[in-house]
Amino acid sequence: MSLKPKSNWELIKNGMFGENTIFRMAISLCPSIAVTNGMKNGVALGVSVVFVQTMVNFTVSLMRKFIHPKIRIPIFMLVIAGYVTIIDLLMATYARAVYKEIGLYIQIIVAFASIFARAEVFASKNKVFSSICDGFGMGVGFLLAMIVISFFRELLGKGELFGISIIAGNPLLIMILPAGGFLAVGLLMGFFNWVDMRFFGGKGASGV
Amino acid sequence: MTATDMAKITINLVVIYVIGGLIMAFVYAKTSPIMFIKAKEEKEAALKLMMPEADTINTLGAWEPHEKHAEYYAALKCGEVKINQVTDEKTGKMKEEKECLSPEDIGYIVEGYGKGYSSYIHILASVDKNFTVQKISVLAHGETPGLGDEIEKDYFLNQFEGKSADNLIVIKGETADKIEAITGATISSRAVTEDGVKNGVIMLQDKLSGEVR
Repeated sequence: MSLKPKSNWELIKNGMFGENTIFRMAISLCPSIAVTNGMKNGVALGVSVVFVQTMVNFTVSLMRKFIHPKIRIPIFMLVIAGYVTIIDLLMATYARAVYKEIGLYIQIIVAFASIFARAEVFASKNKVFSSICDGFGMGVGFLLAMIVISFFRELLGKGELFGISIIAGNPLLIMILPAGGFLAVGLLMGFFNWVDMRFFGGKGASGV
Repeated sequence: MTATDMAKITINLVVIYVIGGLIMAFVYAKTSPIMFIKAKEEKEAALKLMMPEADTINTLGAWEPHEKHAEYYAALKCGEVKINQVTDEKTGKMKEEKECLSPEDIGYIVEGYGKGYSSYIHILASVDKNFTVQKISVLAHGETPGLGDEIEKDYFLNQFEGKSADNLIVIKGETADKIEAITGATISSRAVTEDGVKNGVIMLQDKLSGEVR
């Protein structure tokens, strides 16, 4: 983390690219492999994360002066789990059709390293609006990563996009199995680091 | 660390958790009754969908696959529907009430659970009077998105029509009279077919074929 203050737009951009959860920070890799075997799943989880991450950052930042630093961890856990529980209940009651589609992913979010990390690194030390921007940027960065990974996995593994057939013939089944997830994430991570080094003068993952 | 510090930390944590607990309990109290009613309506609608030609569906009894509560039902078709004019007790107005005369069993519906790859798969299966499967549907599950969740797709579910209990076996690869497994999701396919539907149909046969109908 650099210490000079950033504008809100820089914060959002930082979350999307500079400190992209998956491709740069390499955290929350579990969902990037578990639920990226189709565009629909990837996008559903990504959108849920944008929402939860923004709300958690907002709440933690709001509470930062009341939290004793020694017990911040159980409190972050409560905030995250609380949001997930409430969203889960509200969706199961008032949006049952949507809940059937993405209810499963909402519950997965409890164990997200990226949300916890931003609460700890950013929201607990910064002003409310900056924290909302940071959370939103991080969430969108995660969403973009999920879109890119699931695009390649669904296209190569099933020959489909959003469940609509694109390529005829035998797909590479391994791409939608867990092994293909590791493969896709690894190759894409390498690719984005190469782009950063080659065109933007970055130092690669080791230099962050 | 002094006693005051310890008290501070404890109170800080307790207060925040109590507030969090109250918010969650409040949301739960507000949502759960509505959720319960909606889930019941959905179940009735799902039952109706299993046997669209039935006029009424009655609960026959309950069984416990995987120690979970599940019910089975008889689907009845009325021989004749008689419409009676009756007085509504509350409003005093005349209204029509349907009476089902000489109802006849046209089949049965069984609710079941199959142990899948990462969840118990909640299913409904309808059979005709000879215990041949008519239709099945997946009510809820937590299988892997993209692989196991294909059990909800029609190409898998449609295979069940016309199968008797003996043919409810999952085969990897093409098959003419059995059930073809979903690629990459054999465990989920087995859970639905053998653990869920087949056990349900066998249970129905055991319980109902002895009775005089």
